[in-house]
Amino acid sequence: MLNFNTPIIDTKEYSEIKISEIEPILKINLRGKNRDFITKIGKELSIIAPVDPNTSSSNEKLNLLWLSPDEWFLYSNDKIDIKDANFLEDKLFSEISKVKLGSVTNVSDHWIMINLKGTKTFELLSAGCPFNFNNFKNTKGAVTQTIINHIDVIIHNKNVNNLNLFVRRSFSAHLWSWMNDSARFV
Amino acid sequence: MFLINCPYCGERDQSEFSAGGEAHIVRPKQPTELSDNQWAEFLFMRKNIKGVQFERWNHAHGCRKWFNMARDTSNDKIHAVYKMGEKPPIK
Repeated sequence: MLNFNTPIIDTKEYSEIKISEIEPILKINLRGKNRDFITKIGKELSIIAPVDPNTSSSNEKLNLLWLSPDEWFLYSNDKIDIKDANFLEDKLFSEISKVKLGSVTNVSDHWIMINLKGTKTFELLSAGCPFNFNNFKNTKGAVTQTIINHIDVIIHNKNVNNLNLFVRRSFSAHLWSWMNDSARFV
Repeated sequence: MFLINCPYCGERDQSEFSAGGEAHIVRPKQPTELSDNQWAEFLFMRKNIKGVQFERWNHAHGCRKWFNMARDTSNDKIHAVYKMGEKPPIK
């Protein structure tokens, strides 16, 4: 059973950046290769799984991010009750994992979601990231997996100057400290 | 520092990748029939040439997929990037 532990629980505001940790958020890792798997995801979640690299698809409750040709990352738009999280996980598990269409792994406690807002968001990220954000920042729904200050992250561009960043829980406190330190200088 | 065009994610910085050594080394079909020298040849000996070399790379901090690359080791110029299982597009 999930605990939704987090080492942060904080919000920080700087002149043109707001950084806030948003938890608990449902996060599920989906892996599968065949067409039936993609069809089943669409049916169960009412979302078409994105097959184009670095893209995502969303509905009013959930976001589905492309991670690799056979891997997707599902997360909820809003904070979620633990019972709802377990219900969706169980539903996907019985429809996908049990029938060996693919794998369903609840990673809600594995990743921490940090929301970044403000006009200097990408300046802050660029301070420690080798990724070129020029096209990314103008593409709503764009997804990238990269490194920030040597830490693996998944970044989802929700809207203009509003993005969700996922970092592994064990690295989250370190990244949080780095972001707050760097935000003072951008 | 150079850019690598991941066949799945597109152009990314080299720091997101890890090198996996020489590509297209075929595992012997009957390892038990090999001598120690032949086994060591397969296991350890690599070309390490100056010039165009075929290598395996992994997009470790991205899609985590393996792919092959033809890279000139003398100047880091990348001549081709191709997926696992595909034949090299250049000779």
